Amino acid sequence: MAELSLEHVGKKYPNGYEGVKDFNLKIADKEFIIFVGPSGCGKSTTLRMIAGLEDITSGTLKIDGRVVNDVEPKDRDIAMVFQNYALYPHMTVYDNMAFPMKLRKANPDEIDKTVRETARILDLEKLLDRKPSALSGGQRQRVAMGRAICRNPKVYLMDEPLSNLDAKLRVQMRAEISKLHQRLGATIIYVTHDQTEAMTLGTRIVVMKDGVMQQVDSPSKLYSEPCNLFVAGFIGSPQMNFIDATVGEKAGKVTLSFGTNTITLPDAKGKVLKDKGYAGKVVTLGVRPEDVVDSNEHPANRNLSETIDATVTVYELLGSEAMIYADVDGGSISSHVSATNPARVGSRIKVAFDLDKVHAFDKQTELAIVH
Amino acid sequence: MASTAAIGSNRRKTFMAILIPVLVLFCAFNTIPLITGFLYSFTDSKGYGAFNIVGIQNYIDMFSDTRILNSYLFTFKVAIVATLGTNVISLMLAIGLTSKIKFKSALRGVYFVPRILGGLVVGYVFSYFFTYIVPAITGTESILANPDWAWVAIVIVVVWQACAQTTIIYITGLSSVPEDVYEAGSLDGATGWDKFRYITFPLIMPSVTTNMVLVMKDMLMVFDQIVSMTSGGPAQSTESISYLIYNNGLSGGQFGYQCANAVIFFILIAVVSILQTKFLNSKEEQL
Repeated sequence: MAELSLEHVGKKYPNGYEGVKDFNLKIADKEFIIFVGPSGCGKSTTLRMIAGLEDITSGTLKIDGRVVNDVEPKDRDIAMVFQNYALYPHMTVYDNMAFPMKLRKANPDEIDKTVRETARILDLEKLLDRKPSALSGGQRQRVAMGRAICRNPKVYLMDEPLSNLDAKLRVQMRAEISKLHQRLGATIIYVTHDQTEAMTLGTRIVVMKDGVMQQVDSPSKLYSEPCNLFVAGFIGSPQMNFIDATVGEKAGKVTLSFGTNTITLPDAKGKVLKDKGYAGKVVTLGVRPEDVVDSNEHPANRNLSETIDATVTVYELLGSEAMIYADVDGGSISSHVSATNPARVGSRIKVAFDLDKVHAFDKQTELAIVH
Repeated sequence: MASTAAIGSNRRKTFMAILIPVLVLFCAFNTIPLITGFLYSFTDSKGYGAFNIVGIQNYIDMFSDTRILNSYLFTFKVAIVATLGTNVISLMLAIGLTSKIKFKSALRGVYFVPRILGGLVVGYVFSYFFTYIVPAITGTESILANPDWAWVAIVIVVVWQACAQTTIIYITGLSSVPEDVYEAGSLDGATGWDKFRYITFPLIMPSVTTNMVLVMKDMLMVFDQIVSMTSGGPAQSTESISYLIYNNGLSGGQFGYQCANAVIFFILIAVVSILQTKFLNSKEEQL
């Protein structure tokens, strides 16, 4: 397996559009890196530049210390799983998987052994004589993975490999990919726009927007300490609540006021806001739905804020829990509550924020001030 | 319900109004002549005057007629060489015209020009070219005057003209191959000849089938270029079956006899087309 290094990598198209800007990343051996972001953010372009399917217009790409900017895709020792699987429609499953080895003129016995062993791992043994047109989406996806595995590359690239599968199969295959990563001990770069996939699979996640890398971190750090408003909103579903609030002071404590409500921040967070000169200024208060609690549920071990009056406008039962969307001073706020919560549309409830989990963002720069 | 029935009735009338005139014309100029020709093949008709029914004598005589046998040999020789030549050249052109080159659209237009020219016009132009220009440049006699080489000139002309349509069909076939399959191939190591051999060619087999059948059929029926370039000469060395049927059937007093020839020719073309389609279809893959 291998280490990758992208130094100031950029992609500029002939019409002047910059798809990727100044991308810097070091990927360690055996890492499972996820590129995540909305459509058009440059994640697939970056992956394709690593694969050699797109030219790199600036910067340096190194694999195991060797600069590969101008190296042919086949000579980069990389395998890729495509969104549409890109199987060879005229070849059987066996031939699809054997094809990369055959082109490298591997020993036929070795090819046969590798293909059959890979087919066993991926439960494709009974499908080896079939052609892709006779396979289901999930089976095609496994064949595409099998073809990559048979190649035994230094780096695996996966471009939204699960996006064409139905929800149930996607969850199943997600677990399979995770197991495969552990089994192969491979370096994997995985592109997705699905933040659940990103959170569950990646050892590190790269969040991108408009061709610019926003944050690189572990899933838990990304979730708990987003570096800016975009990352905070993109990671997590339903997304984080954002409220414009004015920083004030009451009895020596820093407060955040919005509408008729005021919450008092813990000393440490208040100090950061005060020290950075936000007193009297408007900031964006961010709080995740699971950190907005119904005060009637008496949650234990939580450092709760003052209660806020809210009117339920939408109630969604999700099974073990429910989502409530409530009106607070003309704005909407979402909250995860227990499935047994009696609140329904029109109910007046009192909610409170978990003060240890509230975030504040600069209104202008959108950068995080305090978590 | 009544109004639905009325709409259905009106639709049927409209369909009939469209269908019947076409059907009448098709029968008048295709089906009836075909049947009539088939019936005449059992006669000794000269194309005019009285005639006698001779049964299958025309068919028996055909097999010992060296002129007819030579025309079959010539026609199949031209058809096979021209079909292969057309398909190879067209495929190369199509690959070039689908690659990243400048003036791609303009070039595609230029390569399609031979298709819109009539066979006779092309034949006369090339006849002039082979009779006057080539000998002037090379200092040799005209290839059209050489019984051993005149067929090559015919092949050059029919291939030149047939490439236009064949190239367009190959361009369509090449455009239908998914780009990500090529990309997967480039990562797997399929570049250059390997890319063509293992990916492109198998995936454009439907176009290959279409082109092989259409071009073979057209080449077996070669006529215009013969009329305009050689009139079957020199020494009947470029006499195609169609030309022989036309020439001897209509002006040679062998109407019944050549009708028999036309029937056999029709069956042969049908058999060749069916065999080609069956063989090539087995090589095709659905994308």
